[in-house]
Amino acid sequence: MFRNLPKFEFLSPKSIKEAISILAKYGPEAKLIAGGTDLLSEMRWGEWSPQYVIALSQIPGLDEIQFDKTTGLRMGAACTIGEIERSKVIGAHYPLLAQAASVLGSTEIRNRATVGGNLCTAAPSADMPPSLLVLNAKAVIATQEGEKVVALEDFFTGPKKTILNHDEMLVRLEIPPVEPTSAGEYIKFGRRNAMEIAMIGVAALITLKGRNNTCKEAKLALATAAPTPIRSKEAEKVLTGKKLTREIIDLAADTASKEASPRTSWRTTEEYRRDLIRALTRRALQKALDKLKS
Amino acid sequence: MVKQTIDLKVNGQAYEVQTQPWRTLAEVLRDQLNLTGTKISCAEGHCGACTVLVNGKAVNSCLMLIAEAQGKEILTIEGLSKGGELHPIQDAFVTHGAVQCGFCTPGIIMGTQAFLLENPDPSEAEIKKALAGHLCRCTGYVQIIEAVKAAADTMKSSRSKRR
Amino acid sequence: MKEQETLNVIGKPYPKKDARIKVTGECRFAGDIAVPGMLHGKMLRSPHAHARILNIDTKKAEALKGVRAVITGKDFPGILYGNFAHTRDYLPLAIDRVRYVGEEVAAVAAEDEDTAWEALDLIDVSYEPLPAVFDPEEAMQEGAPLLYDNKPNNISSKSEWEFGDLEKGLKASSLIRQDVFHTQPLKHGMLETHTCIGFWDADGKVTLEACKQSPYVAWRQLAMGLGLPPHKVRVKQTFIGAGNSGGKQEALPMDFAAVMLSSRTGRPVRIVHSMEEVLIMGHMRHAYKIDLKIGVNKDGFIQAMDCYAIADGGAHSSIGQLSIYLMGAWLMMTYKIPNVRYRGCRVFTNKSFCGALRGHCVPQARFAFEGLLDTIADELGMDHFEIRKRNAITPGYEAPNGFKITTCGLREALDKAEEVSGWRQKKGKLPKYRGIGVGASGFISGSNIMGMSACSAMLKVQEDGSVALQSGATDVGQGCDTVLPMIVAEVLGIEPGDVSFALVDSDLTPIDGGTWSSRVTFYAGNAVKIAALDARKQIADVAAEILEAQPEDLVFRKKRIYVKGNPDQGTELDKVIRHCQNRKGMTIMGRGYYNAPCGHLDFAKGYGNFTAAYSFYAQVCEVEVDPETGQVQQ
Repeated sequence: MFRNLPKFEFLSPKSIKEAISILAKYGPEAKLIAGGTDLLSEMRWGEWSPQYVIALSQIPGLDEIQFDKTTGLRMGAACTIGEIERSKVIGAHYPLLAQAASVLGSTEIRNRATVGGNLCTAAPSADMPPSLLVLNAKAVIATQEGEKVVALEDFFTGPKKTILNHDEMLVRLEIPPVEPTSAGEYIKFGRRNAMEIAMIGVAALITLKGRNNTCKEAKLALATAAPTPIRSKEAEKVLTGKKLTREIIDLAADTASKEASPRTSWRTTEEYRRDLIRALTRRALQKALDKLKS
Repeated sequence: MVKQTIDLKVNGQAYEVQTQPWRTLAEVLRDQLNLTGTKISCAEGHCGACTVLVNGKAVNSCLMLIAEAQGKEILTIEGLSKGGELHPIQDAFVTHGAVQCGFCTPGIIMGTQAFLLENPDPSEAEIKKALAGHLCRCTGYVQIIEAVKAAADTMKSSRSKRR
Repeated sequence: MKEQETLNVIGKPYPKKDARIKVTGECRFAGDIAVPGMLHGKMLRSPHAHARILNIDTKKAEALKGVRAVITGKDFPGILYGNFAHTRDYLPLAIDRVRYVGEEVAAVAAEDEDTAWEALDLIDVSYEPLPAVFDPEEAMQEGAPLLYDNKPNNISSKSEWEFGDLEKGLKASSLIRQDVFHTQPLKHGMLETHTCIGFWDADGKVTLEACKQSPYVAWRQLAMGLGLPPHKVRVKQTFIGAGNSGGKQEALPMDFAAVMLSSRTGRPVRIVHSMEEVLIMGHMRHAYKIDLKIGVNKDGFIQAMDCYAIADGGAHSSIGQLSIYLMGAWLMMTYKIPNVRYRGCRVFTNKSFCGALRGHCVPQARFAFEGLLDTIADELGMDHFEIRKRNAITPGYEAPNGFKITTCGLREALDKAEEVSGWRQKKGKLPKYRGIGVGASGFISGSNIMGMSACSAMLKVQEDGSVALQSGATDVGQGCDTVLPMIVAEVLGIEPGDVSFALVDSDLTPIDGGTWSSRVTFYAGNAVKIAALDARKQIADVAAEILEAQPEDLVFRKKRIYVKGNPDQGTELDKVIRHCQNRKGMTIMGRGYYNAPCGHLDFAKGYGNFTAAYSFYAQVCEVEVDPETGQVQQ
């Protein structure tokens, strides 16, 4: 039942260390809040009733975007989706991320929602994970013992579940540089053109070598195709080292469809999702390839 | 539970409110500051009726805890018109038949204000994307889009006049 | 009285009068109104689709700090109310049985909303779950769980009629096609959620301030359910944030709860529904199974129609008696159908109940008919517009079920739609996966429900030449707050801006059927016009004396009154009003009521004229289907 927000105490730590110590003290009684666009709705629906809500807004540095051409991108977990969408740095060097950000929610949601929040809510349909996965992102997690770095692939453990312990906090994403002969595409599919939860989402990143369409490396990741966001590694293998003909792309799409484990939900069926994965993977790959050709 | 004291700056005016931590900006604006122009409908960020500007950016005030609003410049629908004179966006909505029941109107106007400040010469596709987070159950959106275009034109020409 | 020769107001565009206060956020809807001492109410809802209520223990809830009152169904007199005398099955709060998930069983008033929500958790309801039924066809079977002991086979209502000779019509058809169409239930998520403020004063007078688009319907139902004479109930309409029926037509459990909680506490009580509550609480659009058969001759002219329709009514009757007739009526309202049999059956199921919702069964009817007609056209090799033009109702047509069409622009609408859409260039010539289609419909300008359709209006012409207009009509955003003043302005020669339009208050404004079935401009408009003409006659009689002319030679224009053909022989309207008041002690008040001359419509027999002014539509839509994903884009 949808109702009022439950009562809680609002805490505003001024540093990551302070935040972690509060988390350690209160354990499952505490929830972190960044943009709040998922959390507050979930709380109204009765999913969470934390006694302590810990804001991240007063912690400096959590929303910084830094780029270095050798080390790549460092993106604070509290960067808003809107900031990612509009960032010149990201637009120049990681346009796939900007594209994924641009289809999340609405203008108003994007101005508050954060990439960290999107990852930590960990819905299988989340919009940011697929593009972050194909970009080989790493999650930097603050713990009582210091920071630890985890491949984003290992971050999600189940529907709305991550590896984070109660006293741990996602603080940053680190994304390596992308080779210049690369292009990506994120396709989000739903019944509506906007304000939609992905029925299927596909992120593709292709890196070519040489003048012809030979694929040096291909990465594919899917939303809502499994209990967590996933890479389609078998499909990627189909593409690596091959000339990207129509047939190879079709085969990769087909492989991605077979490899995934979508489910039948109230929204749609497993069969339809597999069809979507096939069609949209093909399109995403083709679009990425077209970007490289032009 | 202890109430917090929150300093708010709304429509250029300073307020001090005593409120519980779990109150949202939308609730405080409406129930404590009597600024009921901002509406609550879905209360979970789907409909846009609660849209206000926070530091110039359009947000769903139903999804913002009141403490997060401290120290920020908040603009609500009540702060848009000046001295009884309608803002060009408000005026365009009146003259273009973009208002029927009016419940979605403040939210859409605020979303439009934020959008036109960033994109003063938008295409129709850009308008639709910018306002995708707003529901209207009466108009069918056509007159709303026309009003936004007309407002953009008016605001552009008044800017060029001032030069 | 000479009519104006040219229209000065009607036909010109005017901005909606309340648009200014709405764009500034000043306009207060019910949820924006806070009154001193106000308590906040919340409703407790059944988690069961079908259950007996064995006991409700409210002690813990009552003991919660900040709770001022808790009520249940037993706090009311137990009088059933509803839309029709023979289908009353609403109670303010369920007493011994719940029939759908979400049905209201208790209510709380507290100092703040948080406390009210918390109190709901402390109300202990013991239920004995009962078997439930969710499919109407299953519900009609012997042995299905019964929702009402006096409604065998869960039949809520029927409408069965036959006109012409169905067998003869089918025999005359060279092509007969039949298909079954299913539509889904729907609830309009109007942005303003249902809200009310109730107050029961020391005088025993109940006041409900709420977003009611048919305040008098709510007024009567409230009086009945409370066991009070209507004059002890006052319904004050607030600005309405969209209605489309959907619950804003009737007295709801929340309204009863608000006033009863006020009675218990001596304080006003405001109740605001969440959007979730709006979407689950009933007043949905009926889901239908429409088994439709149409027969045409070789030239595509409709010879016969046979329809068996099952409406999924949900747990209450609501306005279902009318709804089940309407399916048949809408099927008859677009094309000439000489021989028809209609059998409609509305069935109770343990789900949110259905009633009038934005079109009240016309979308379902046209979906079925237009789709089947296209299939027939394709089989005949006939263009979709052509078959519609051949069968289109024309001016002056009298349908076998008693509709009497006066004006009709369906042919013109079809012609225009065909032209503007580029149909001839596109149909059959669009790229693969792109298609174009047409649909047509008829509708009414207000339904004929005997005297209950009537509208009334009152106005006073004030000493500055302005008018204060009251009618029972409500603006739900559709613009009657502007259109009705425009009519007054036209008659009296003033501007719409000079005419104020009151919110409905059952103590003050005249009675009215309400805002539904597209009736306001036509019915209220006529009532308002009659009231304005009434006032004009009174003014003209006095002005004629002043101007030494005949009243029937006077023109009212641009706030002046002058002799036709001689504008200089005139005076200002406001001067005449002040003359009436100050010299003659005469206040100018106009009144009017209007009921369309439709004759009697027998809903049981399905025969009669449904409206005095039918309206007609043609719509074209172009779509593209993505063959790989099935996604449809318009």
